[in-house]
Amino acid sequence: MMDTTRQEASPATGSGPGRPARSRRPFSAGQFTARYAIIVVWAAMIAVYAGTEHGLFWSAGTFQTIFSSQEPLVFMTMALMTTILVGEFVDLSVPAVFSFAATILPVLVVNHGWSVWAAALVAIVGAVGCGVVNAFLVVKLHVNTIVVTLGMSTLLEGVSLWMSDMNSVSGMPASFGKIANQDALGLPIDFWYGVVLVLGFGYLLAFTPLGRHMQFVGASREVSRLSGVRVDRIRFGSFVFAGLLSGVGAVIAAASIGGYDPTSADSYLLPVFAAVFLGTAIFQPGRFNPLGTFVGIYFLETGILGLQLLGLQAWVSDVFYGGVLVIAVTISTLLHRRSS
Amino acid sequence: MTVPEAERPDSPKNQQDRLEVADISKAFGSARVLRGIELRIAPGELHGLVGQNGCGKSTLVKILTGIYTPDPGGAVSVDGRPLALPVRPLDARAAGLSVVHQNLGLVDDRTVWENVRLGRFRAAGPFSRRIDGRAERRAVEEVLDRLGADLDVNEKVGQLSAEDRAAVAIARAMQDHQPGGGLIIFDESTRALRKDARARFFELVNGVIAGGASVLLISHNLEEVVAVTDRVTVLRDGTVVEGGIATRETDETALTRLMLGRHLLTHSRVDSHAQDETVARVRGLAVRSVPDFDLDLKKGEIIGLTGLVGSGAVAVAEAIGGARPAKAGLLTVNGKDIKLAAGRGSTEDFIKAGVAFVAERRLEQGLAGDLSVAQNLTLPRVRSRGSRLRIGGGWQAEETAAMIVKLDIRPPEPDKLVGTLSGGNQQKVLLGKWLAGKPDLLVLHEPTQAVDVGARHDIIAAIREAARDGCAVLISSIDAADLAVLCDRVLVFRDGQVADELTGDLDQDAIIHATFGVSATAAGAAPVVTGQDNESTSKGVVR
Repeated sequence: MMDTTRQEASPATGSGPGRPARSRRPFSAGQFTARYAIIVVWAAMIAVYAGTEHGLFWSAGTFQTIFSSQEPLVFMTMALMTTILVGEFVDLSVPAVFSFAATILPVLVVNHGWSVWAAALVAIVGAVGCGVVNAFLVVKLHVNTIVVTLGMSTLLEGVSLWMSDMNSVSGMPASFGKIANQDALGLPIDFWYGVVLVLGFGYLLAFTPLGRHMQFVGASREVSRLSGVRVDRIRFGSFVFAGLLSGVGAVIAAASIGGYDPTSADSYLLPVFAAVFLGTAIFQPGRFNPLGTFVGIYFLETGILGLQLLGLQAWVSDVFYGGVLVIAVTISTLLHRRSS
Repeated sequence: MTVPEAERPDSPKNQQDRLEVADISKAFGSARVLRGIELRIAPGELHGLVGQNGCGKSTLVKILTGIYTPDPGGAVSVDGRPLALPVRPLDARAAGLSVVHQNLGLVDDRTVWENVRLGRFRAAGPFSRRIDGRAERRAVEEVLDRLGADLDVNEKVGQLSAEDRAAVAIARAMQDHQPGGGLIIFDESTRALRKDARARFFELVNGVIAGGASVLLISHNLEEVVAVTDRVTVLRDGTVVEGGIATRETDETALTRLMLGRHLLTHSRVDSHAQDETVARVRGLAVRSVPDFDLDLKKGEIIGLTGLVGSGAVAVAEAIGGARPAKAGLLTVNGKDIKLAAGRGSTEDFIKAGVAFVAERRLEQGLAGDLSVAQNLTLPRVRSRGSRLRIGGGWQAEETAAMIVKLDIRPPEPDKLVGTLSGGNQQKVLLGKWLAGKPDLLVLHEPTQAVDVGARHDIIAAIREAARDGCAVLISSIDAADLAVLCDRVLVFRDGQVADELTGDLDQDAIIHATFGVSATAAGAAPVVTGQDNESTSKGVVR
C-alpha cells in the first residue's frame, strides 16, 4: 500500500541523486564514533604527549595552563554561535567587538581615572552597541553579513588602536582582577564562568521556546515565519546578544590580565572559527552545539600546548588551528550529509 | 499503463525521427522517477509534453541535457544516430539538441551578441586569445535574420522587452542547427511571458519549425499546448500514459484527466459536517487578480477553492491563511478581527486567532528537514504551551505521539529528522503540526500533492475528522478528485472572480469542466477555447 519510492523521488524531499535513503539508528556504532571521535583523539593526544615529554606535559602546571587561559575564546565562540545558529553564517566582527570592549575598559580606568565598574559598564554597552549596529544593517537593511561584519571588524580594530595609542594598556587595580582570577575548585573562576555560560546556552537551545525558535530560524526563515515565529526579532536579538557576550567576556579578560593589548584581536579570528566548526564534529555531528565547541576549544589548546612543549615554535598554532579547521569541517560535513 | 507505440495514424512514416527516446529510466536510490520513457518527435514537429509537478518532466530534460545519467538500458538518438549516455553537452550541441530554460538563461547586463555566443566564443586568430567581436556579431546577426527577429546585437539584454529576450534565447538555441535539422526543447519557457508576448513568441517558434527544426514544448499551460502543438505526450508518475496523441483529437479536459489520472476513490462522499454557526468571515479581500472577495465559513464546513494558474484561488487561500499580505480585507475568526492588508497582524496573531495554514511547498514553507518530527510538529505552540524558561517535554511527547497515531506517520519515531521521511509522511507531519493546535479555521494548499494513495487516504480522513470536530476548512487545490470527495461546496475562480459555485453532490468531471470554463455537455465534443487567447490563432500556422 505504501508506495514510498515515488515520494522520495520528488525534488521536495531533498534527497539527492544516487544517495540512498539511510535510516538513522539511534545508537549504532557509527553514530557513537561520530559523536565521540574527537574525545578519543584528545585522549590519544594526551597519551602521546605524556609519553614523549618525560613528565613535562603530565604535570599540574600544564593542566592549569590549558584550563585557565581560554576564557576569551569561550565567550567569543558563544557569541559567534549565537548568530550562526539563526542562519547568519559568518559574523567576522566578533574578535574585534571583543577587543574593542577589552580596550575601552583599561583605557578609561588607567588613562582617564574612571572607576572600574563604570568603565566595565561602558565597555559592555559599547559592545552591545556594536551588536545593534550589525543587527540594524544586516536585519533591517538587508546588507550582506560578511560585508557588514568585515567592515565593522576593521573599523573597530582601528578605533581600538586609536583609543590605546597603539600600545597595550595595563595597570588595572589588582582588586578588580579577582573577578576573573580568584581560585575556585583549583581553577581560576573565569573557567567556571565559561562552564556556566556553555551549560546555560546549551539549556537555552535544548529546552526553551526561544532556543527552539532560534534553531528553526536557522533552519528555514520561511517555515519559521509561517509558524508564527518572529523571525527578524530573533535575528536582531542574536546580533545584540552576541555583542553582549563579547562585552562581558572582554571585561573578564581585561580584569584577568590587568589590561589589554588591542593588537591581539586578529589572532583570535581563526581560533574562534576553528573551535565553533570543530564543535560540529562533537556530540551532535553536523550541528553547531555549545558543549561540542567548549570541548573543541580545550582540544585545540591541548594540541598546541603539547606541540610547543615539544619545542616547536609559535607558527605551530597557525598550522594546527588551520589544519584542524579544514579537517573538522570536512568530517562534520560528511557526517551531516550521511545522516540526512 | 501501456506505452503506446509509434504506429499511430499521426506519426509520420518513412522518415527518421528527429529525436527518439527509447526505454529511458531513472532511479534515485530506491525511488524510480522515470520508468521506460518512450518519446518520438518527427522532423518539423511541434510536440507537447505535459504532466503534473513531480511527474518526471524535468528529470527527462535533465537526462537529455546530460545533467543526470539515465539508468542503463535506454537510448537517445537524434536523426537516427544514437547519443552516448550520459549525454555530453558538446555531443548534444553537435546533434542540434538545445534547451531554452524556464528563465531563458540570459545574462541581463551583457549584450545580445554576447548572450547568444556565450560558450562559443572563438578567438580572433591562431595566436590570439582575443574574441573576434566583429565576426561574432556578424554570426549573431545572421542567426537573428534566420529567426526573423530584428534586434540590435549591441543592446544589453536587460533593456529588451520580454518577447525580444525570448528571441535572444531562441537564437542561442538554434544557432548550431544544421539547415533543416535541430531540436529545441522549451522547458516552461513561456512562463516568463505575458499573454500578448506569447503570440509573438509562437510566431518565432513557428519560424524555427518552418526552417525544418523540431520543437518539444513543455508547458503547464494546457490551453497553449492544445493551441499550438501537433502531438502531445502525457507523463504521469514517471511513465508515459499517452505517447504522441494528435492534438486535434484531444482537448484540455481530456489532457487534465490523463495528467491527474483517475484517483482510486478510496473515499466516498459522506454527509456534510457543516453546522449552522458561522465561525469565520472574510470581507472585502483584494489580493493579486482578485478585486473583492467575501466568504462565510460555517463550523465544520469544507470549502474548496480552485481555478487555473493566475485565477486568484491560490492567492485568496494564502491571504486568508496569513501567508501573503493582501491589498485589502478583513478576516473575522471567532469574533476576532484580523486585517489582511498592510499593517496586518503577524502570523502569530493568525495562529492565536485559530487560523492554521498548511503550505504547498512542504520543505520550503512547512517543515525544517534538518530538525526532528517532534520539533517540527510542536513548533507553533512552544511559546504558548511552554513556559518562558522551559518548553516542557510532556505535552510535546503527547502531541507528537497522538499525531503519529492519528495520521499513521511512518516510521513512528518522534526523533527522526523530517528530511529523511518520504513525501507522504512529511505531508502528514505538516498537517499534524497544525491539527495538533486544534484550529478553528484550517486553510490547506494542495494537501495531497505528490503523496501516494495510502497517505492521501489518511490525509483526507484527518481533514474530515477536523471538520467533524467543528473546524472550518478551506482547501485550495487543482485536484478535482480531492475536492469532490471532501468539499461541501467548491468556488471556481476565473480571472479574479468566482465564476462558478458548485454545491451538493460533486463529481470531479464537473469541477474540471467548471475550471476550464466549459459546460459539461459540450466538453466531450468540441475543442476547448477559453477566454480570448492569442495563441489559438497561431494554431493554423503550425499545421
